[in-house]
Amino acid sequence: MLRVGGEAGWGIASAADIFSLIAIKLGYKVFASKDYASQIRGGHNYHTVRISKQPVLADIDTVDILLALDKTTLDLHSKSVAKVGIILIDEKIKLEQKDNRIIIIPLKLIEEKLKEKNIHNAVFLGAAIKCLGIEFSVLDSVIADYFQDKPSLIKKITTAAKEGFNAIPAIKTSLSALSIDKSPAGKLSVGKNLPPEFLTGNDAIAKGALKAGLTFLAQYPMTPATGILHHLAKEAATNQKLIVVQPEDEIAAINFAVGASIAGARAMTATSGGGFALMVETYGLAGMAEVPLVIIEGQRPGPATGLPTKTGQGDLKFVLSAAPGDFPRVVIAPGDIGESYTETKRAFYLAEKYQLPAMVLVDKHLCESFQTINLEDIEPDFIFNYAQRINIIEKIGNKELNEDKIYRRYADGNLKRHLPGNPEGIFTYAGDEHNEVGYIIEDSKITKRMNERRMGKLEQIKAELPVPKLIGPAQAETTIISWGSNKGAIIEAMEKLNEEGKKTNFLPIKFMCPFQDEVKTILEKAKPEKKRLVLVEANYSAQLGSLIREKTGIDIEHKILRYDGKVFTVDDIYNELKKIG
Amino acid sequence: MVELKQYNRTEQPNWCPGCGDFGILAGVKKALVELNLEPHQVMLVSGVGCYAKLPYWMRANGFVGLHGRELAVGQGVKLANPKLKVLVFSGDGAGYSEGGNHFIHACRRGIDLTYIVHNNSVFGLTTGQYSPTSEQGWVSKSSPFGSTEKPINPLALAISAGATFVARAYAMNLKELVEIIKQAVQHQGLAVVDVLQPCVSFAHKPEFYNERVYYLDQSHDKSNKLKALEKALDVKESIALGVFYQEKQ
Repeated sequence: MLRVGGEAGWGIASAADIFSLIAIKLGYKVFASKDYASQIRGGHNYHTVRISKQPVLADIDTVDILLALDKTTLDLHSKSVAKVGIILIDEKIKLEQKDNRIIIIPLKLIEEKLKEKNIHNAVFLGAAIKCLGIEFSVLDSVIADYFQDKPSLIKKITTAAKEGFNAIPAIKTSLSALSIDKSPAGKLSVGKNLPPEFLTGNDAIAKGALKAGLTFLAQYPMTPATGILHHLAKEAATNQKLIVVQPEDEIAAINFAVGASIAGARAMTATSGGGFALMVETYGLAGMAEVPLVIIEGQRPGPATGLPTKTGQGDLKFVLSAAPGDFPRVVIAPGDIGESYTETKRAFYLAEKYQLPAMVLVDKHLCESFQTINLEDIEPDFIFNYAQRINIIEKIGNKELNEDKIYRRYADGNLKRHLPGNPEGIFTYAGDEHNEVGYIIEDSKITKRMNERRMGKLEQIKAELPVPKLIGPAQAETTIISWGSNKGAIIEAMEKLNEEGKKTNFLPIKFMCPFQDEVKTILEKAKPEKKRLVLVEANYSAQLGSLIREKTGIDIEHKILRYDGKVFTVDDIYNELKKIG
Repeated sequence: MVELKQYNRTEQPNWCPGCGDFGILAGVKKALVELNLEPHQVMLVSGVGCYAKLPYWMRANGFVGLHGRELAVGQGVKLANPKLKVLVFSGDGAGYSEGGNHFIHACRRGIDLTYIVHNNSVFGLTTGQYSPTSEQGWVSKSSPFGSTEKPINPLALAISAGATFVARAYAMNLKELVEIIKQAVQHQGLAVVDVLQPCVSFAHKPEFYNERVYYLDQSHDKSNKLKALEKALDVKESIALGVFYQEKQ
């Protein structure tokens, strides 16, 4: 695992991207995460790149090579570096004690020689490559690909990297633990920027939406969901079918999306918890008027501005109860980047079929971490042809119209909506309680029937969701229950425990609403005698725990919670489970 | 030929007798008929307020959503299906208060739709509180000692925010109202029509407006943005009606 840290504006992200691409070129699977401050210059930012021959989906605690571009990085992260690891530092950093792991980079000399400034990322990267015994030509070709759009930078970066490479006299023997496979695996072209199979969760969501036939996105920028807007705005430049709008606020964004949806678009909006707080009234409107709508909610620690660039899972109870009144909603929490893709597709299918708001609830760690993954390789657990439209009426018969030739869309049992422009009938959507043609009413019998019509959709949806499944051995002493981006770290910790003979399995909860009855059956089976249930969540109040208790009556006694803005690493979970016993 | 009865439906409005909303409903129907638009080609978007029930009493496609969010929904509809004629309705409360931000940005964005604001200078459906267009000193249930706030100037705001068609009409002058709505619907880009209307229960009676309104004559150059702005800012006892500004296309 490599970590590079320094101030914002120093090219920390580019250094991590380039190292990731080198690893991909050498045939490795990559998982990369970033931890940064909410500022454009200065502050402390670090990116972590974990590479492995097997797919990896989480961070661990031990860093093999640390690129400490400043003193803060050295102070904060040197204790995470392995005993046989490497720490690259700038010579101007004064060392308080001798440390065998440290290699000093003569940055000032190199800058003076090249008459360049702001090249530390390239110099350090060159040095790191040398330490790992990788040929310079690999770095050279990745830089050329990565900066394809900025040819003026290629020479500057390559020259600086070469100086860094040459500054390391020879590979230290103590680094033999860092054995890396140095032969490029085939002729993988990394292409422009990042290769398509090296994705963030945001990219996977955008790709899932496109695969599901997205034609309209309205989004106001907010970390960590902004990557979705960037991805799709770029796509819209060449995709004639896609409209991307950045409106004046989140309230406008969701209302634009509702308007587009009723006019026939497959529409989506994306935001974070704070932005979703502004959207809430329209969330209920989509439920009331029965408008298909996909919402992506990328959590970060709240309330208010909270920690804008860190991660957390504090919005579960909020999204499940947001907006006044009862209305049907779908809330799905994918556990990794692959699921972010497939569950976004599912959200579009469910939204269109049942005509309601369907939310994909993710978090900063999922939105902004990178993973090498081929989305097309994922085995789908349901099949739907997105080229077709569901539950849209085209030919409207007389029976389906009232005496004024208004479409009886909300007639009992009718799920087919109508698109404006259809010459055979007109229709009015209503945020007011309404009768079968969408006309405003206050009649209590109709009100009761309409509530039952809307809420009844949840049972129908439940019937077509894939059943929840335990990961790991069927029988175990400990069953971990968790959700969202903790999945990768939990699975790895679980495997480690099983290897040690501590039988552990894991139940990820993906469908928050409608909540699946099978969860209760699984937990009841896992519970008897000395067996343990352990909840893992990134919030203070154990929100999934309380949802499980509400839905199943089961109280999970053991809880591993974190609410400090940081990611669960494999070691965090492993160590905490060991403590529990 | 499209006939008026195509726009009629069985349900009848429950506005107060004498409400200006009747005039606007009649004006919109007549304008669409005269433009030979079929009900299915039209999308009426509104929110919450007395005005907002208009789509329930007119046989055309409609969306009655939330207070102040009318323009955002209308713009989404138009972007997704440009073939639809989109008319967005709002009120001085919904449009200039709760939806003020959407108003400014819709003006500069310029998506092709007609924005009709039912302006009666009062919150009617909540039984009479001062609104953003109530005059300073106006006494209402929520301003028992007179409102201390200056009224908004919707026309000047629209012109300076970049709207390309800005007009004021009066709900009780049907003939002129129909003409202005027709021009607004035919205009390509965002057309803002502020329609003055009496609120017989909580604000001004028709006499208030009848005494004050007059129409801009031929001497007003509606293609001159500065002149239009000057006219819009010229708020006196008398109230000018007509097309203040229309950008040449």
